[in-house]
Amino acid sequence: MANLKLDRVGKTYAGGVSAVENASFEIADGEFIVLVGPSGCGKSTMLRMIAGLEEITDGDVQIGDRSVNGVEPGDRNIAMVFQNYALYPHMTVRGNMAYGLRNQGMPKPEVEARIAEAARFLQLEPYLDRKPSALSGGQRQRVAMGRAIVREPSVFLFDEPLSNLDAKLRTQLRAELKDLHKRLGATFIYVTHDQIEAMSLADRIVIMSAGRIEQIGTPMELYANPASTFVAEFIGAPPMNVLPVTGEAARAFLAQEARVPDDLGHVGIRPELMSIGDNGIPATITLVEPLGAETLVHLKMGADKLIMRSGHGLALDAGAEIKVAVEAGALRFFDRDGRTRSA
Amino acid sequence: MVENRPLAAILTHVVLIAGIVFLCFPVWVALVASTHPGEALQRSPIPMWFGDQGFANYSQLLREGVPAAGGVPLSTMMLNSLFMALGITVGKIAISLISAFAIVYFRFPFRMLFFWLIFATLMLPVEVRILPTYDVVASLGMLNSYPGLIIPLIASATATFLFRQFFMTIPDELVEAARIDRAGPLRFFWDILLPLSRTNIAALFIILFIYGWNQYLWPFLITTDQDLYTVVMGIQRMVNVGEGVPIWNYTMGTAILAMIPPVLVVLVMQRLFVKGLVESEK
Ligand SMILES: Nc1ncnc2c1ncn2[C@@H]1O[C@H](COP(=O)(O)OP(=O)(O)O)[C@@H](O)[C@H]1O
Ligand SMILES: [Mg+2]
Repeated sequence: MANLKLDRVGKTYAGGVSAVENASFEIADGEFIVLVGPSGCGKSTMLRMIAGLEEITDGDVQIGDRSVNGVEPGDRNIAMVFQNYALYPHMTVRGNMAYGLRNQGMPKPEVEARIAEAARFLQLEPYLDRKPSALSGGQRQRVAMGRAIVREPSVFLFDEPLSNLDAKLRTQLRAELKDLHKRLGATFIYVTHDQIEAMSLADRIVIMSAGRIEQIGTPMELYANPASTFVAEFIGAPPMNVLPVTGEAARAFLAQEARVPDDLGHVGIRPELMSIGDNGIPATITLVEPLGAETLVHLKMGADKLIMRSGHGLALDAGAEIKVAVEAGALRFFDRDGRTRSA
Repeated sequence: MVENRPLAAILTHVVLIAGIVFLCFPVWVALVASTHPGEALQRSPIPMWFGDQGFANYSQLLREGVPAAGGVPLSTMMLNSLFMALGITVGKIAISLISAFAIVYFRFPFRMLFFWLIFATLMLPVEVRILPTYDVVASLGMLNSYPGLIIPLIASATATFLFRQFFMTIPDELVEAARIDRAGPLRFFWDILLPLSRTNIAALFIILFIYGWNQYLWPFLITTDQDLYTVVMGIQRMVNVGEGVPIWNYTMGTAILAMIPPVLVVLVMQRLFVKGLVESEK
């Protein structure tokens, strides 16, 4: 009932800034979609166009098979959660949640019932009569979620809702969000610049760069088969090693590969698909970062630098000479424009 | 840093008390003078403690006024002042809230031109435009009327500007959240903008009420009917009676009465004001 369709959507701001260009994708009912990309790439603009807060200048947005261009945000059956919470500061938690429902003319008992349920689910019951200024950041964001939930919209929109919170709370609320999605079964569209959030939350990720969609796919698709060097370097921490074919490292990797496409620009390899072997490509360790469960090993191959992920208990120090072995099929190939080429 | 030096403490207190005495002395003299018969104030030294005529003086003032100064009861003048001050205050706040709302939240043609036009009127206080304003009011037949007293003083660039600045500090997301919550422009204004502006409204109310209460030149020009005289005009008339007739006791009593409403407004509004400040802390 709430599938969503964007058809060649574009946004050019009054000053001539083109924030989003030619964006097309479809979202199935109940999907959890994450829009991810570096700051300024147009994620918020995209979300706000879906919400109806921003007029679209090109294309068509459909919610539930209905074109909603020109439909007011309040009539789109959506709810939105903002990074800075955007709670009404002069209303209590209860008032904040009730406001939208009262504006719809919902009878009071039903408003109360919905608030009670949302408050129970979000553990906000003790705070219902407080003002937002008397709540912590995490509690405020819960209230904002509550305000969205009580409306029972078919699409939830989130714009970096966790970015103002500390790391621990972020992890906790991330889990709660995922749980919320499962329980409500509604469509979620979630904007973040944090690829870890994107990977852990999304059914499918839409990754954007400079106003354009780079790739759409499940987190593992994006991770395993990035469509471009941009995606390869954005997803994963540490990111994929992307090496120019003219460098020594790339030539050494390619020498081991049976089938190599022509017209290559770059070669990519994930840090965990390399290991220290008895034979392989010679490299020098420049830095060892033990992180507990794993160790990040910074390597130098000729003039190229790359990072390898290794298990714990690595007994080597910077300066050691090692041999690097590569798993079969680990290499990814990109042309000179950074687009994927298959072998 | 908390210091505990008795000498310094005594010194600061002496200075503070001296300041208070200095400020309060004239008020004290006025208060005392208003409780004596008129002749007592023409002898020297003037009395420093209350006399026994207080009740008689004030009831004479409020009920009949001072014949030598026109004989308008002070209760009438107080009410006139109150109407005028409240009218000006409420009118100014209402108009400037609405204009600021329009300028900040609506995109209409020549928006900035209107803003700068309003802003330019800052350079035209009543005193500067008094002749044309008088002419307009006279030709509209509003001389000797409350609307004539109030309306020409209502437009306020200062308050419009203040509300505009405040509205611009309200995050866009709050406006957007309200749009998603189906609040149209008027709902947004009533339910969100107005309550958030409480503190500003309280502060302006104090300033504007005192401004309105203290108006002298404008009411003096457009009222010839004694029933529309304001307190400030009343004081002026009494002062003009001169030394011949001993009415300083009444003059002082009028001054004391004229002080009461502004003081009350400050006391009441200040509480609201502080409450607003504490609550809006983020
Ligand atoms: N109201 C606006 N007017 C003009 N340009 C804007 C406006 N809002 C955003 N932009 C521009 O559009 C681009 C995308 O912005 P945004 O969608 O907020 O990025 P993101 O959310 O991905 O960080 C940026 O270059 C930004 O400067
Ligand atoms: Mg953004």
